Amino acid sequence: MTDFATWIYDIVGLIPLECLEADFMRRALLALLLLAPMASVLGVHMLHQRMAFFSDAVGHSAFAGVALGLILGVSPRLSMPLFGVLTGLGIMALSRRSTLGADTATGVVFSAVVAFGLAVTSAKAGLGRDMQQFLYGDVLTITGPETAFLGVLSLTILAFQTIGYNRMLQISLSPVVARAWGMRVALWQYVFALLLSVVVMFSVWAVGVLLVTALLIVPAATARNLARSAGGMFWWSMAVGTSSAFIGLVLSAQEWCSMATGATIILVASGWFGASMLWKRTLGR
Amino acid sequence: MSDRVPCAIVFDRLCVTLGGRRILDDVCIEIPAGGATVLVGPNGAGKTTLLQCLVGKVPHTGRITMPKRLDVGYVPQTLEVARGLPLRVAEFLALGLQRRPLWLGVAERLRGRILETLALVQAESLVDAFLCDLSGGELRRVLLAQALARDPQLLLLDEPDAGVDVQGERRFWEILTSLRLARGFTQVMVTHNLPLAAHYATNVICLDGRVLAQGPPRQTLTAPMLFTLFGVPIHLYPDQCETADPPCPECGALAAGHEAPTLLPLACPKRWAVGDLSPTPPTEPCATRPAAAQEAS
Repeated sequence: MTDFATWIYDIVGLIPLECLEADFMRRALLALLLLAPMASVLGVHMLHQRMAFFSDAVGHSAFAGVALGLILGVSPRLSMPLFGVLTGLGIMALSRRSTLGADTATGVVFSAVVAFGLAVTSAKAGLGRDMQQFLYGDVLTITGPETAFLGVLSLTILAFQTIGYNRMLQISLSPVVARAWGMRVALWQYVFALLLSVVVMFSVWAVGVLLVTALLIVPAATARNLARSAGGMFWWSMAVGTSSAFIGLVLSAQEWCSMATGATIILVASGWFGASMLWKRTLGR
Repeated sequence: MSDRVPCAIVFDRLCVTLGGRRILDDVCIEIPAGGATVLVGPNGAGKTTLLQCLVGKVPHTGRITMPKRLDVGYVPQTLEVARGLPLRVAEFLALGLQRRPLWLGVAERLRGRILETLALVQAESLVDAFLCDLSGGELRRVLLAQALARDPQLLLLDEPDAGVDVQGERRFWEILTSLRLARGFTQVMVTHNLPLAAHYATNVICLDGRVLAQGPPRQTLTAPMLFTLFGVPIHLYPDQCETADPPCPECGALAAGHEAPTLLPLACPKRWAVGDLSPTPPTEPCATRPAAAQEAS
């Protein structure tokens, strides 16, 4: 495993950029090259299902997850994703089982987890400072085992997209038709919420709570402008997300730039989106 | 040995309660195989709920007996197509036909089948159109094509003709009937178009939370039954009338709208709208209506 990781890092190091000579930069690039495509393609489903608010709620649960970990003596790197997954599944359960709309259910859970996080951090002195890195994100602190986990997660998301892309699209268009065809609508929605929650929590590390939704939504929204088919939207989203991550990381490492990596990535993605709007307007679509 | 058509689906004492409100109460229905069964009733009568019970979307008590492994097609009332979604009609039909994810493209072997299915609903020219760009009538036909593409044994349609112009509505029913006769599927459809239901349906279920009548259109879509269902005098069969409908003395029209072309013109619909008159139930179909009309004028 260690040899494999070294081999991967060496390959990343072949990219002829001075900023990628440092180990932590290679690790950060590898993590982003794994994370950005996952976030982008899940963002396509989020857009179809009108769930843009979902990632915000799960992302903001990071505060509560970290605070709980620190209080219970569990590593925040474990408590944060676990709490995020619970939040995501909770939102899905509430919106499915109650008469509340999905956005109302998300709003309720969002408020509850943010309030809980703030209450806990304000009650424990010094905890607020630890939260800063989650607010703005710091992809440069991602460790080797976490990168390996991202690799496994990528394969899982690839399997989900292969088996479930058509199903998820049909469910977003008409859950009743999907059900008539024998699809297990609830199961697919819960699996989607689970995977999305895990990706959101890793994205919090990369770009921070404030920008996590952008990492998911902006590439997918850009893809909607550029793609000429529903299938094409998948590829465009992945291309925009991945290129934004790469360019954003490299730009942020330049001395003349020296901006936060997460923010730079989202700025590049937003540039893509602006260009796509111009393109769409030019074509008159 | 009975010579009745074998039943495709039987509802036995079906009850549905949602949010503390009883939507369907003790519903017992037999839907014949291969027929065109139409569900009629006012809004909130439980028609869509009944269809959703068939696909297991709504929890219910009572029993639904239907063959196992039945291929079901469903034409929904609406489709959640987001504005600007670049989903093409060919991809939309492929969703139900291929396991391969759409991001790997529509399988070439399916292209012919998709075109054939679209031709059935006279929509082959729309194969490369975006779903969000279709007109109401085109979208209805494409939705029907998606349901038909899977060659269903049971086709459920939830107001598939709503929001379509008069010509489009008739065209839709004609296509549906010819396909049903050719393929032999069982059709269950919710509609508000009573004249077309009377013309094309083989079996009608009058529903208002419970079943008020079921059987052939001529026996179920009678003036008293329609008055009970909708609270306005409607008659669909001229031979049930002793005299022809007089035109409205104010506007001269026979019909108040295409959905009920022989709605009794007790008064000008404009006057109905301000509540000048309340309709009189035609307890004896049509016989009392000329007098009522004169009284109104």
